Amino acid sequence: MFESALCISLIISISGVIFQLHRFRRNRQFLTWGKCGYHTNFFFHIKGFILNTFLQIKLFKAGKIRWSFHFLLFLSFLYLVIIHALHDVTASVWFNSYGPMVDPYPFLRNLAGLLALTGCIGFLIRKRFNHMIFQDKRIKYKGIFSILLILMIVGSGFLLEASKIISEPVFMEMVDMYSDLNKGTELLDLKLFWKENFNVVFAQTIEATREGLEKGRRLNENYCLYCHSNIRSAFLSSTLAKIIHFAGNRLNRYRIDIWFYNIHYMLCLLLLICFPFSRLFHVLLIPFASSRQNLTKDTFRENKAFINIAFLHACTNCGYCSQVCSVYPNFQITGNQDVLPHSKIESVKTMIENPGAVNHWHLHAGNDECTMCGNCTEICPSGIDLQSLWSVLDKKLVFMGYGDNNRFIKDMSLKEWAKKEDVSIGLSHRDALTSNLSDMADAFENCIQCTICTNVCPIVDYDSNQNDITPHQVMNLLRLGKKHLATGTRMVWTCLTCYACQEHCPQEIRVTDILIELRNTGSVSADLIKQVSRPIRRINR
Amino acid sequence: MKFAYFPGCKISFYMQDYGISFKALMETLGVELIRLPFNCCGYPARKRSFEVSMLSSIKNLALAGKYDLDIITPCKCCFGQLKHASYWYEQNPALKEKIDGFLAQENLSWDGKSHIKHLLSFLHADFGIRALEKRIQKKLPGKKMAVQYGCHALRPFSITGFDNPYAPKIFEELLSVTGVKPVEWSKSTECCGNPIFNGNPELSLKILQNKMETARDAGADYICTACTHCQMQYEMTQYQKQLNNHSLPAILFTQILGAALGINNNLLSLSGKLPLALFP
Repeated sequence: MFESALCISLIISISGVIFQLHRFRRNRQFLTWGKCGYHTNFFFHIKGFILNTFLQIKLFKAGKIRWSFHFLLFLSFLYLVIIHALHDVTASVWFNSYGPMVDPYPFLRNLAGLLALTGCIGFLIRKRFNHMIFQDKRIKYKGIFSILLILMIVGSGFLLEASKIISEPVFMEMVDMYSDLNKGTELLDLKLFWKENFNVVFAQTIEATREGLEKGRRLNENYCLYCHSNIRSAFLSSTLAKIIHFAGNRLNRYRIDIWFYNIHYMLCLLLLICFPFSRLFHVLLIPFASSRQNLTKDTFRENKAFINIAFLHACTNCGYCSQVCSVYPNFQITGNQDVLPHSKIESVKTMIENPGAVNHWHLHAGNDECTMCGNCTEICPSGIDLQSLWSVLDKKLVFMGYGDNNRFIKDMSLKEWAKKEDVSIGLSHRDALTSNLSDMADAFENCIQCTICTNVCPIVDYDSNQNDITPHQVMNLLRLGKKHLATGTRMVWTCLTCYACQEHCPQEIRVTDILIELRNTGSVSADLIKQVSRPIRRINR
Repeated sequence: MKFAYFPGCKISFYMQDYGISFKALMETLGVELIRLPFNCCGYPARKRSFEVSMLSSIKNLALAGKYDLDIITPCKCCFGQLKHASYWYEQNPALKEKIDGFLAQENLSWDGKSHIKHLLSFLHADFGIRALEKRIQKKLPGKKMAVQYGCHALRPFSITGFDNPYAPKIFEELLSVTGVKPVEWSKSTECCGNPIFNGNPELSLKILQNKMETARDAGADYICTACTHCQMQYEMTQYQKQLNNHSLPAILFTQILGAALGINNNLLSLSGKLPLALFP
């Protein structure tokens, strides 16, 4: 029964891995864009693998405490899987002296279990108190399932071991198997010894005598000791056994140890099945994403654009990228989650699988804030080349018709814009503070239309064909009360912000500041109009 | 001397040469640079949202203020933006209140005490041309060079206080110290075209092309910059085809001064290579 369940789980798990890899392959075109794009060959770099994947150097640099918890969990779980769970094909073959109850293995097993528990609890505590990550609902509960599963597996393991320690039936089975003791005083002496020393709970009362104990000790040495060390080396389970000792008889009657064994085993199978579909999958993906030699700013220059759909799923939502993000203040003001890398990557994943669930305008607005400083790529403990992802995403979104405000306004006539802007006034929006120039007559009414600003403007000089009106005409529009027209003019949107006009204005009008403010105002309107518009698809890339 | 070093976003990735040469230069001049976890200066966001750009800037200033440091930056856009923000922070009470609220969340506050310095203004005003002259190890060959002032540091003068906005001279004076010959160039205070490179690349390159042509006409062999964005604009190598014969090589001021101060080439450039004619 157990074997067939194991086989079925293995089949599900392996086909799950194949399914996931196929899914990545199917979507690979998504990130192909010009020079940036899909990289077919997975690098495998020994030094990078040891440093980045096994030792998690990048995580260590980013956060020492988190690294220690992660490493505890990682190492101890690795030990438990290899030496404990697979002992039939590993430890028993590798070590002659191996036995599940022979020192030092019970001790090591308990230690690993304890460390794994510590790691899991550390994870849960961080998840609870890390406000940064909490802000995104989509990833609020990510990873908790896997951690709880591990927690339950380790917990059930300890309970299993404790229930076996107190179990009379287990004791009798072992006596039948490993000794020729039947009934009679010898068995009674052995029982006495185990009761006193190893906490086994027997239904019948056994009278404790010094002689009996001494005999029992000798019998223990003869029959048991060569493959069953002192129970105390399994320190956590033996403590647990002492705690549940009082209910020992009842537990033994219901064979609670078998129940725990089944639970433990089934949870392990569940872990196997869930492997490709949960956070646990990062164990497989991170080696591919991070094994390349330390992905820092230097290596980025050499291997530009190393990005792959599979790597997106190597993200563990740790949130370090957003902590070092250069444009975090933009998020503070706008509240757009898609400014922050750890949230943006979730949106990209959703966008690939289910484009309808993503607000593309929002995503573009968020991505547009990125200054390409590379901090996120440098810190990412999973080794994902986030910077390439953002530049590919930008091109992709523009191609899909979700361009920035400049392109958006460029594509419509001034008349059209004025009409649409009227509509946008009705839409609710965040009241943004401005430099308060374009609404204050004081700021521009002194304009005498001397055209000095226009004469010094490089845009007017170089772009006589495409530019519509000139700086002094913008000032005039304001004086005529046509601000809503001014916000859509090419002059406002192509302004170099070189401040030549402002510096030269004899009337000391803040011409450039006004132009910038008009662009800000136009940007707010454009953002609103966009939300009720369709994407403007472009044919040429 | 001790400064909080504000590299700006682009240096760390696209203009690493500027970053390392700046650091080497400062080390040679005995200036200690402190790295603080600064965010973006707010300049890129200025065109989209006044609030965002102001918060970004003031947060940086407050962070420097927390450590009682003045800020030094090699980027003119960062310099201009930080100056700009400190002006508006005082002018606009509603803005001040809002920003103070955000700063308080992170136990920051800004009293307007920390100063913002650009590399050039620091060398000219604080370090001093005389002191710099004494440090020069070798005079560079007298190549002719046009200087790009950079708009955001130069204008508006009432806010940046960098130099005379109509006839600036500090860049030329600093450059002369190294032995190279600055040329008279009518367009030295005009924009390089970088701010609109994303929105309107054709126009941006047209401006660049004109600048290079006029610099060549003025007799320059090189263009010297002291701003990350200007240098990026002049280094638009992937568009060299369009610029064909008009292009002039642009060199960072830190590399020129660094070479004159006797700093090893490997500390001035990632590749260790600098134009041979200029640095024999």
